[in-house]
Amino acid sequence: MHHLTKTRWALAVYAALFLVFLYGPFVVMGILSFQQGPEGGPQFPIIEWSTYWYQHVIGIAPASRVAPLPVGDALIRSLSLAFATMVVSTILGTLTAQAFRTKFKGSGFVFYLVVLGMMVPGVLLGLGMSLVAAQFGIDRNWWSTAFVLHVVYTFPFAFLVMLAIFNRFDASVEEASLALGVSPRRTFQKVTFPIIFPGILSAMLFAFTLSYDEFPRTLFTGGSQVTMPLAIYGTFSVEIHPNLFAFGVLTTLFSFALLSVYAILMGLSARRLSVRSTGIQEDVT
Amino acid sequence: MLELVDLGKSFDGVSAINGVSFDVGEDEYLTLLGPSGSGKTVLLRLIAGLDRPDAGRIVLNGQNITNKPTHLRGLGFVQQKYALFPHLSVRQNISFGLTNHHSTPISDANEVNRLCDEMLEIVGLSGLADRGVGQISGGQKQRVSLARTLVTKPKLCLLDEPLGALDANLRERMTVELRDIRARLGVSFMHVTGNEDEALGMGDRMIVLDKGSVIQIEKPADVFSRPATVSVARHMNNYNILPGSTRNNHFVFAGSRLSIPANVENAAFYVVGIDKVAVEPVEAPERKDAASIDATYVASEFMGSRVVYLFERQDGQVFEVERHLSRETPVNYIPGETRRLSWDVNDVLTYAPDGSLVNNSAQLRGAA
Repeated sequence: MHHLTKTRWALAVYAALFLVFLYGPFVVMGILSFQQGPEGGPQFPIIEWSTYWYQHVIGIAPASRVAPLPVGDALIRSLSLAFATMVVSTILGTLTAQAFRTKFKGSGFVFYLVVLGMMVPGVLLGLGMSLVAAQFGIDRNWWSTAFVLHVVYTFPFAFLVMLAIFNRFDASVEEASLALGVSPRRTFQKVTFPIIFPGILSAMLFAFTLSYDEFPRTLFTGGSQVTMPLAIYGTFSVEIHPNLFAFGVLTTLFSFALLSVYAILMGLSARRLSVRSTGIQEDVT
Repeated sequence: MLELVDLGKSFDGVSAINGVSFDVGEDEYLTLLGPSGSGKTVLLRLIAGLDRPDAGRIVLNGQNITNKPTHLRGLGFVQQKYALFPHLSVRQNISFGLTNHHSTPISDANEVNRLCDEMLEIVGLSGLADRGVGQISGGQKQRVSLARTLVTKPKLCLLDEPLGALDANLRERMTVELRDIRARLGVSFMHVTGNEDEALGMGDRMIVLDKGSVIQIEKPADVFSRPATVSVARHMNNYNILPGSTRNNHFVFAGSRLSIPANVENAAFYVVGIDKVAVEPVEAPERKDAASIDATYVASEFMGSRVVYLFERQDGQVFEVERHLSRETPVNYIPGETRRLSWDVNDVLTYAPDGSLVNNSAQLRGAA
């Protein structure tokens, strides 16, 4: 019994440390984002609590020597890029995983070929892509060259998520649907898709978040119109003001909102699939 | 209605189904008995179109459907593990085939509901329509699976071990109900099973499948009383099978000379029904036209309406004798005592070394 409590304490400390390291940076950033402005800097102590830097980020603060964060357009670019990447990668990933449900010649080779996309260092891939673009005289843009690389990067993740989903998918429900005289296409719509939907949500979440804060690949292929991570990095090289922290808090809140939508959708589809006899055995989170 | 011609299928060079030919008639209950690994599920999947055969043809109502996609065949297929749609309710499961049919979907909600209610009534699930399929028992799932198929009115319904996952009680009840439902709807059933009681009890005709080939197609009573091969006899669970050889109009088994029916030569298996054997004292006089062996009593198994006595033969194997308690009261033998087991020679079936039946049918009809 004594031994058990000791283990418990050790695990509790471990868990606490984990949480501190996980949320510590965010808490510090959160506190500093309420620093007084525009004189207050990105360090303790807090001179006076204020919401000045939040006003500064959204552009309603009075003009000062601190330049506004150049994130407006960058944020829209990042979100559009992440959204497009998410859609394309999830569709490609689902279709590819669907292909892998039946063994075909060279399936092992194709598998590694696909997964390679997430193994190759991003910097090298970005550099390579920019060389290729230069060679063929293609303009580098966030919506063209960078987009392609984002898909190359996130597609293997979406593929692996869907592969895991299909591994646990019981194909007999699809066969049942076909035997009832339902066409393969409608079978996918009405049977396969609703059952694999939780997996599709996860694949979408992966693709979106990976693309949203992608740095090395975009650096080389994004062209002159920067995405959000590049824009923020760009401000570091000049001077750091707490408006960055305020922006960080806002984007984190946005991410939380996104996660909540994910959790709600997940909960809804899990409830529909709740106690089951066939299909996927439990929802995938 | 459905005709299989010389159907063959192999997986990675290993033959699963080989030269299978038979037909299924209108309004017929056909059972297909086969041990696991005999290719019975493969055969069903070929008929349903879920796999393609390597050889042979499948003809439905005169039309070759060998390469037709599953959803265009118009056959029903009830799977072994029900395969209900987990995201739909009982009613939605049953109406699925009606509303999503590839050529004739029913869009009128009232009509769909009416057909569903009718089918729920037939399979005895009224009142459970709005349950999720995870909230019902195994037997109810089985019925939903059946109802989902039957509501689309297939002419032929394939059932893959439909009772396999049910407990004994439920199994017995569903046996009766399946026959009832089939008769009411006039659908042909092709019921695949590994259980000889099911195959014998439910089919109008039965097919015995072994190692991918059809061994026997006959009425269950005929299969039971006259198994076409020694392996079918073994599968009936109702025969003592003695290996040996024929010599001078006798069958030699582990040193015993047994009388055989007239005109039998070259038999390698001597088969006698477990209910055709008399247990006598060792000193009992030899009867005419009877054969006997001496065996050591081991134990008895009480099965409710009948009792099975287990004896040890000279070759160490078990010899079973069955008695129906409606006709006799059970006898207590002493374990270890030797008894004479005898039977009428006309009740004996003999099989050649290749497993085929040797007796000619005329003798057997007399014996049956």
